[in-house]
Amino acid sequence: MTDKHNFTFIQGDIIDLVPLNSEHINIYVKWENNPNVRIYARNIIPRTAEDIKKFFEPSKDKIKKEINFEIWHKKTKKPIGYGEVSEIDWYGQKAFLGLNIGEPEYWGQKIGEEATRLMVEYAFNEINLFKLYACINSANIGSWRCAEKNGFTREATLKKDAYVNGKYYDTFYYSLLKEDWLKLKKEKQVK
Amino acid sequence: MPAEKENSKEEIEVFPFIEGETIDLVAGNSKWADLYCKWDNDPNVRRHARNIWPHSIEDVKKWFEPSPDRHTREFVVFTIYHKRDKRPIGFVGLERINWVNRSANISAVIGEPDFWGKGIAVEACQLLIKYGFTELNLHKIYASVHSPNARSLRAAEKLGFQKEGTIKEAEYVDGVYHDEYQFALFKRDWFKLNQNES
Repeated sequence: MTDKHNFTFIQGDIIDLVPLNSEHINIYVKWENNPNVRIYARNIIPRTAEDIKKFFEPSKDKIKKEINFEIWHKKTKKPIGYGEVSEIDWYGQKAFLGLNIGEPEYWGQKIGEEATRLMVEYAFNEINLFKLYACINSANIGSWRCAEKNGFTREATLKKDAYVNGKYYDTFYYSLLKEDWLKLKKEKQVK
Repeated sequence: MPAEKENSKEEIEVFPFIEGETIDLVAGNSKWADLYCKWDNDPNVRRHARNIWPHSIEDVKKWFEPSPDRHTREFVVFTIYHKRDKRPIGFVGLERINWVNRSANISAVIGEPDFWGKGIAVEACQLLIKYGFTELNLHKIYASVHSPNARSLRAAEKLGFQKEGTIKEAEYVDGVYHDEYQFALFKRDWFKLNQNES
């Protein structure tokens, strides 16, 4: 693993959010294909390094449609997942929030919570969005608990929305409005 | 021959996007390229619009090529269409749209000097400003006016813009450097001025 200095973009406690790194393409491919990881990320088709390389091509769009981060674990100095603010609708000021901790040994350590918190702050404070949403498989308990800890509320249940391991599962549509996020922040400060 | 030309102009379909009283704001049409080109190059028009480069009809036609990013853009431009006379007479648009800062610059050009001094630019801008605040959800609209353009200065004031600053000797026009006035209008102030429009 490269000990080279990475380019911290947003600083956290346990993790930092950094730009995607083309030297880590093989790691990203590993995560995308890992059966334990991909099950809730809804990757049903094998990904190759060429598929991932597309993220590094210069964008033809003048206006950003998505922002991708690598999640960098500070103590062990390695990339452990990725996050995204994507499908950005600038007219409506809203976007999809996505997160994938690719290294299973880092699950269950509140890392998802911190990564979500940092991305939510970025989306509301830096790029001036108003609403974030996430579509989470009902069986992916860790993920929707993480969303709820960050103030997301379950707006809707999309019934039998995803076919996973031979069964249909509901998808939970979670969302967070900036105005509610600000209220929660204030409440936390008062405490 | 002139009769044919008249007919062909009337056959061009017009697609109003925002309706006004004297004028509508309509989608541009590549069939009006020769008019756009005339306005762009017309010495009387371009000295105020600050076009200092000659534009060929090919340059104008390039505006109609589909852009790679069809969804979100940094400008929105309309052709001003005179309802009674049934002809396009200028353009009005929001450009340099910054989606994070939620601001944009407004510009209007009445390409036919016969239509100057009739409140048309003000009407077109009113329609566009309403669109900017109630449809694009902008926070702030800017306007830059160069100091000799008295008509534009009056229009900015009528529209409720406040002068934010003067950029000295910013524009080189006919051998002289002129100051540029920066005007701005905030969404909250526009809503106050237009309380019945929501």
